[in-house]
Amino acid sequence: MNEGTLIEQLKRGDEDAFKTIVDTWQNMVYNTAIGIVQNEEDAEDITQEVFVQVYQSVSSFKGDSKFSTWLYRIAVTKSLDHKRRKKRKKRHAFVKSLFGEEREVVYHPPDFNHPGVVLDKKEDAAMLFHFINKLPENQRIAFTLNKIEGLSYQEVSEVMKTTLSSVESLMHRAKNNLRKNLEDHYKGIG
Amino acid sequence: MKQKIDIKKRVEQTLNSLDGIQRATPRPWLFSRIKRRLMQQDEKTLWETTGSFLSKPLIAIAGLCVILMLNGYLLFNQEKKSSPATLISQNEVPLDSESLMASSSSFDYENLLQP
Repeated sequence: MNEGTLIEQLKRGDEDAFKTIVDTWQNMVYNTAIGIVQNEEDAEDITQEVFVQVYQSVSSFKGDSKFSTWLYRIAVTKSLDHKRRKKRKKRHAFVKSLFGEEREVVYHPPDFNHPGVVLDKKEDAAMLFHFINKLPENQRIAFTLNKIEGLSYQEVSEVMKTTLSSVESLMHRAKNNLRKNLEDHYKGIG
Repeated sequence: MKQKIDIKKRVEQTLNSLDGIQRATPRPWLFSRIKRRLMQQDEKTLWETTGSFLSKPLIAIAGLCVILMLNGYLLFNQEKKSSPATLISQNEVPLDSESLMASSSSFDYENLLQP
């Protein structure tokens, strides 16, 4: 069954079409989410939210981009929204702690280990993810989509609705920032 | 010098640590969980929907501002009404001796004058 037919069936509320779409694209959505939020539980939650939104708003998909591009955009948006919500909660908990309302224990998660990283590179990858998390938002998205999802710069530009040269610039700056942070870190422990 | 080269090497090694990365996969039966979530969304009551809408920070702050502005407007109006000049012009009480005596003793002077 081709993509166009699947989407038309989904617009009519066909459950089998929806299941096929979920089965086909769940790994892509989950991997994108986990690359941005760096937490398996949160990525699972976001993946569900993405497909719920796909089901509810498929009628707004006009076909002017690829379906996968549309999915990536929803996944990236939901992942960033999730990160912002978590940051707000952290800030709120911090302010509460200033006033002595320390009921909630602030949980500092250990370094993130992406399940798909080659075994002998896990330690280095965990360090890299730590600094990816500190990149400015657009650089983080571009780097994640290119390095973790394997999208070309052209594909990244379509997802981010920007130009190819902007993506090249974002990647250049992201790598420079990561290099600098890693150098400072290794100099510090060396 | 050697340390600098080592650090640069280490940095490049770390930057390339994502080479060959495989996609992470979610837990099995994701579709069932998505279906359940869709059903739960449909079951949301009017109160839950209204509550979740009103609890959005922007909506709550906007609502608070409207209430405060309304309160301010009402208070301002109230003060205007209760100022002495406004009272006298509103009531137009004739300042003769009987009315003055009646107002000081709460005597119903006005009804006495009516047939």
